[in-house]
Amino acid sequence: MAAAVKTENLTKTYKNIMKREPVNAVSNLNLEVNEGEIFGFLGPNGAGKTTTIKMLLGLVYPTSGNAWILDKPAGDIEVKQQISYLPETPYFYDYMSGSEVLQFYGRLFGMNETTIEKKSMELLKTVGLYQDRYKRLSDYSKGMLQRIGIAQALINDPKLLIFDEPTTGLDPIAHSEIRDLILRLRDEGKSIFLCSHQLSDVEMVCDRVAILNRGVMLKTGHLDDLLLAGHFEIQAEKLSADVLGKINGFATCVDSACDIVVIDVEDGDKVDQTVDLIRGCHGRILSINPKRRALEDLFVEIIREGNK
Amino acid sequence: MTTLTIARNTFGEAIRKKILLICLLVAMAMIAFAVSFASFTMREELTIIKSFGLGVIAIAGMFMAVILGINLIPQEMERKTIYTILSKPVRRYEFLLGKFFGALATILVSLAVMTVAFMLMVFFKNHYVVDFAMLKGIVMIFFQLLLLTAVALIFSVFTTPVVNFFMTSAVYIIGSLADVTESMSHGTDKNVLVRGFYMIVHYLTPQFANFFTQNPLIHGIVIKNEAVYYSWNILYAIVYSSILLIVAILVFERRDM
Repeated sequence: MAAAVKTENLTKTYKNIMKREPVNAVSNLNLEVNEGEIFGFLGPNGAGKTTTIKMLLGLVYPTSGNAWILDKPAGDIEVKQQISYLPETPYFYDYMSGSEVLQFYGRLFGMNETTIEKKSMELLKTVGLYQDRYKRLSDYSKGMLQRIGIAQALINDPKLLIFDEPTTGLDPIAHSEIRDLILRLRDEGKSIFLCSHQLSDVEMVCDRVAILNRGVMLKTGHLDDLLLAGHFEIQAEKLSADVLGKINGFATCVDSACDIVVIDVEDGDKVDQTVDLIRGCHGRILSINPKRRALEDLFVEIIREGNK
Repeated sequence: MTTLTIARNTFGEAIRKKILLICLLVAMAMIAFAVSFASFTMREELTIIKSFGLGVIAIAGMFMAVILGINLIPQEMERKTIYTILSKPVRRYEFLLGKFFGALATILVSLAVMTVAFMLMVFFKNHYVVDFAMLKGIVMIFFQLLLLTAVALIFSVFTTPVVNFFMTSAVYIIGSLADVTESMSHGTDKNVLVRGFYMIVHYLTPQFANFFTQNPLIHGIVIKNEAVYYSWNILYAIVYSSILLIVAILVFERRDM
């Protein structure tokens, strides 16, 4: 599968003549986003996410390293026909109406007026702004601006979408609609590079993630691989005190506050050992599930470790 | 095509700027106000209306060119609109040229509006005869503003609007004193280095003074080789502005957004 985004030792260093130390906004970043996947690009404020996006879009020149978008050098004018970008808190010309904004961006893609008109109406309906299409942007709410931002990002039917905080300022209903839209776009075969602080959204939609801090990539991989920590959670009942004591000896955690005992054991032999012990004492196994961590917990742990 | 789209947008936004509309309205009011100079003889009155009108148009135009020019790029950066535009298949030079021509179109339309008001005033005071000679002055004002907008644009690529305001104004003032810098560069009583400095300043600074043709036009003074004089200065404004635009593009192409 071809890479939608690829970087090799991508580095951006800002030199400030007033300060002695140059600032490494991004250091030796190696990324690969596959076509057709939703890739979560995470990190705390100042981690270098926006600088990376700007380098991918050719807005900022890397100090060293390389970046490719859809197998062409980042910033290439031809590749920009096939990508789109929604910045965090998008700003548009507020004298325009929603419909005019889409016309303006459509023209920048060299689209003809008929296509722009057809596509605009379709997108305005998709993002729920059809009724407000002739309203000036100065009268739009923050959520409406975010939605027109999403619509402009879809005007060219892009192969790769770069979204920077796409759900900022949206109410819960719109939030959920945009999340569904992102999943629908992935199902249509588009690649999505998603930068977000909404970790619950990332957990729900992303296939893979990368966690960045202070310009350095700390972790990357499939979300399932990262969140399935190699632990299983076994729920059982009717366990004797003797068996409970034996399990306590090797389990990570045993919660036996009520009749149902929740046992946390590492993957592998310990699961079999626990099951054998429960069955041996005629206990009843209610469920065995791989234990999944919350992305937020993983994120906090990685960032804290990185800060040490 | 992309440049045209950006230019149309720049124009659409600029004509809605309150400060420019106020400037235009004040200029129009001042042109109309010139009729009140009725305490002079008819001939003197007409001369004053012409002089005052052309002066108001030149000053209002200069103000508009500076206000528009200094904000062209910094405003786009500040509002982050530049990010969504340059992430589309838009080359940086297309964006810069679009901004420049959009600003120029705004200046041209404003000049046209002021010119209509001015020509009507002159028409009524000149026994209903159109004084086409005045249009030469307007054309020269336009090319002076073309040059001034290009100066403001080049500074707007790498400075803030406030710094740009002072830099553009300084260049305009020095360029308007071209006769002074020229005489300083020839003065035999001065040090070679001082003369050299003034010579460099004289030839490097856009010579805005050459576009002040109001006096000969108003007083009917014939400019020697008039056609050559006008053509040469128009060509000078076009070539100088083109050079400034090329330098602005080269700087803009290399900078981080």
